[in-house]
Amino acid sequence: MTKILSPRLVIVVLAAALLVYPLVLSGAFYRDIGVTFLLAAISASAWNIVGGYAGQVSVGHSMFFGLGAYTPLLFYTQWGWPPMAAIPVAIALAIGLSIVIGMPTFRLTGHYFSMATIAVAELIRIFTGTWDFVGAAIGLQGPAIARGWWDLTFRSELPYYYLFLVVLAFLLAVTSFIERRRFGFYLRAIKSSERAARSLGVPVRRTKMQALALSAAFTSVAGSLYVIKTGFIDPDSGFGILISVQMVIIAALGGAGTLFGPLVGALILIPLQSATNTWFGGGGSGLTYILYGGIIVLIARFEPGGLFDLWNRVAPGLRGALRKRRHA
Amino acid sequence: MPDGGKLLDATNVSKKFGEFRAVAGADLAVNAGDIIGLIGPNGAGKSTFFNCLAGETVPSGGRIVFDGKDLTRASPEAHARAGIGRTFQVPTTFADMSVIHNVMVGAFLRHPHRNDARDKARAVLELTGLRPDQPARSLGTPGRKRLEIARALATEPRLLLLDESLAGLTPSELQEAIALVRQIHQSGVTIVIVEHIMEVIMTLTRHVLVFNQGHVIASGTPDSVVREPAVIEAYLGRSHRRPPPDPSPANGGG
Amino acid sequence: MVFLQVIVGGLLLGAIYALFSSGLTLIWGMMNFINFAHGEFVMLGMYVAFLVVVWIGGGPAIFTLAAAFALLLLGIAIYLSLIRHVIRGPMLAQILSTFGLALLLRYTAFYIFSANFVSLPQTWLAGTINLAGIYLPVAQLVGGILAIVLTLALHVLLTRTVMGSRLLAVAEDRAAAMLMGIRPDRMQMLAWGLSAGAAGIAGALMATAYPWSPSVGETFGLIAFVVVALGGFGSVLGSLYAGLIIGLIQAMSAFWLGAIYKDIVVYGLFVALLWFRPQGLMGKA
Repeated sequence: MTKILSPRLVIVVLAAALLVYPLVLSGAFYRDIGVTFLLAAISASAWNIVGGYAGQVSVGHSMFFGLGAYTPLLFYTQWGWPPMAAIPVAIALAIGLSIVIGMPTFRLTGHYFSMATIAVAELIRIFTGTWDFVGAAIGLQGPAIARGWWDLTFRSELPYYYLFLVVLAFLLAVTSFIERRRFGFYLRAIKSSERAARSLGVPVRRTKMQALALSAAFTSVAGSLYVIKTGFIDPDSGFGILISVQMVIIAALGGAGTLFGPLVGALILIPLQSATNTWFGGGGSGLTYILYGGIIVLIARFEPGGLFDLWNRVAPGLRGALRKRRHA
Repeated sequence: MPDGGKLLDATNVSKKFGEFRAVAGADLAVNAGDIIGLIGPNGAGKSTFFNCLAGETVPSGGRIVFDGKDLTRASPEAHARAGIGRTFQVPTTFADMSVIHNVMVGAFLRHPHRNDARDKARAVLELTGLRPDQPARSLGTPGRKRLEIARALATEPRLLLLDESLAGLTPSELQEAIALVRQIHQSGVTIVIVEHIMEVIMTLTRHVLVFNQGHVIASGTPDSVVREPAVIEAYLGRSHRRPPPDPSPANGGG
Repeated sequence: MVFLQVIVGGLLLGAIYALFSSGLTLIWGMMNFINFAHGEFVMLGMYVAFLVVVWIGGGPAIFTLAAAFALLLLGIAIYLSLIRHVIRGPMLAQILSTFGLALLLRYTAFYIFSANFVSLPQTWLAGTINLAGIYLPVAQLVGGILAIVLTLALHVLLTRTVMGSRLLAVAEDRAAAMLMGIRPDRMQMLAWGLSAGAAGIAGALMATAYPWSPSVGETFGLIAFVVVALGGFGSVLGSLYAGLIIGLIQAMSAFWLGAIYKDIVVYGLFVALLWFRPQGLMGKA
């Protein structure tokens, strides 16, 4: 039984499933969920770097997402750039913002950082709604008709799906890379005990800033991918608190601080969200967020390590029970 | 080495918290190869002084020079890089990580590459007798204290500050721990140890500083210090100003 | 004259900010814990007042007491069922616990009451009063003054009563407090009750003078953060000064820059505080 569930095999199977999914389930509905799932997994995995591994809980990560979403459309609307060409600019802005947030708050306790993230995200959201240059409350739109392949305006969902899949794979590869190196060890040490980490020579503040910058960069990319697909952004869809919430809950549900936790969380939550939206109809988003709130509280109270920890606690018992069954 | 051969030279260190003076003008000179004890009743200031040496508390006054470098206002990270390692009175291991990963965090200071760090960690774990792959949270208190020592050792310190790392052990565990500290000392690490257990002080240390109410009230060899009236008074009150029974292990300990 | 009106109006609202923020700062001082759902406590206080009026037609005194009592119980219940457990755990659990609670309370309120703004029917506090040429709604005046009185009362409670000294002892040094026979758990539970109760009263007072919807919780929560940061984490008196200052700044921003900007200025002030003076006016960092 354990051989069948070897981690490497599971990953290969998962990767294969993700690769063929839109070809096997080719209806628009399935592809749409697939794309939404990938985007959510990317955002949550990006959050995971600073929130899960380093334990610095940002509840305003939408600020980076929104930056990544607004910048490409701004450059398109104002100067005719293909949206994707402005992605590096968005990344630079996101990293800059992360430094502004991190520098003062990382020398104080964790709560300050969390408070700052929510305050700054709200600040940016409201401000964006008043600034005509970026479309104020109306927002910005992307190219309606492609001027060339570089505008990335596809009719079908398929190219988006594979583009997002590549980005997700890249992000997971980067996360896996740092997980096994000194940087990853330092992140986990900081999460566990900053005081002990310091005494061992870990440059705590600098490491936290690096984690936040990396996380901000990838979150910004997620925002850019979002606008490239939807072609529209406004203050709420860019900087709204619900975007921050979704990142956090997906990562925490699957297992914050684990490589595949966000993926698992997205696998569960995105179809769930789609289902509740259809069941509850118009009042759907309200009930969905009541559900989210409840799930977050339950995770915090009973299983902060998410499904990953739950599995680790339950699995040995299961394995034992199965073995007994077979030998009985 | 500069400064007349002193590895650590703390002069006139003081620390005030608001109006309260926790440490008032303490001096400590440590030569390479020393093994020094800091004792005193609770609240006497030895822990605060210790934290000043480790860089966790910035002294209000005085100077701390280590290996020729002024570390008075330096951060704990800078202390570690300079070659000072420390343990915590309440063990602060990384509970979510395995034993070897805990030690690797320390090892990474001098060995940035993972494989080197892992080799170093394994070597330290062999010395301290801990099994590498168990989760740190499954260790009992003696194991955690041992893990903290291992973790600090992995940073290759020249000076190791032990904060009551031998407290709460059974007699046989205590003997093992004393042997470990001795082994570490013999490998060339200078040690400053804060401790309440007289046996540790008497058998391990060669020089002792006694704190009371923020001041160093006595300084000398363990034998001479325990006989000083001021020390006895600090621990037992004024009415007990006579020499204590011989506290060497043969007589059952202090 | 209009300017003076703006100032007084800002101060009166600021007094209410001070009242509910004092609860937040109390919790911080005692437990090093930030309640992300604190704004929702205020919001719930407003709806309790609303329900009391709608169901039994009670007047301001009744619904304010009802809000105080209901939120006191809620605060205690939340402490016992949730906070007590997460406080010893990882930071993620601590932050998520009240963050999730905020979502739960906010969207449940949206579901039950809808997103429409509501206000209370006229009470005996209706009408405006003319004070030296300034026209003030009576409800605002009474609410503001009462808020200042209650905040000061909380400060006095903490600093001059036996119970208050026990609360402060736990905040100062838990281990020492235990040695003195004080039970930190009890005190923390009490603090949560007080904190929520203060928020509830503040909500009820505001309900008499301003319209609201479930969305106000989010704004009040953030305002509470700013007030606590400015006043100093852990200082009730600091919250009083800071609350009045924030109310004033908000009113002046609305007056000079436009209503949309009043929150931007306040949040911007928060960011500036984090950068330059995280310990605020009167507190310890």
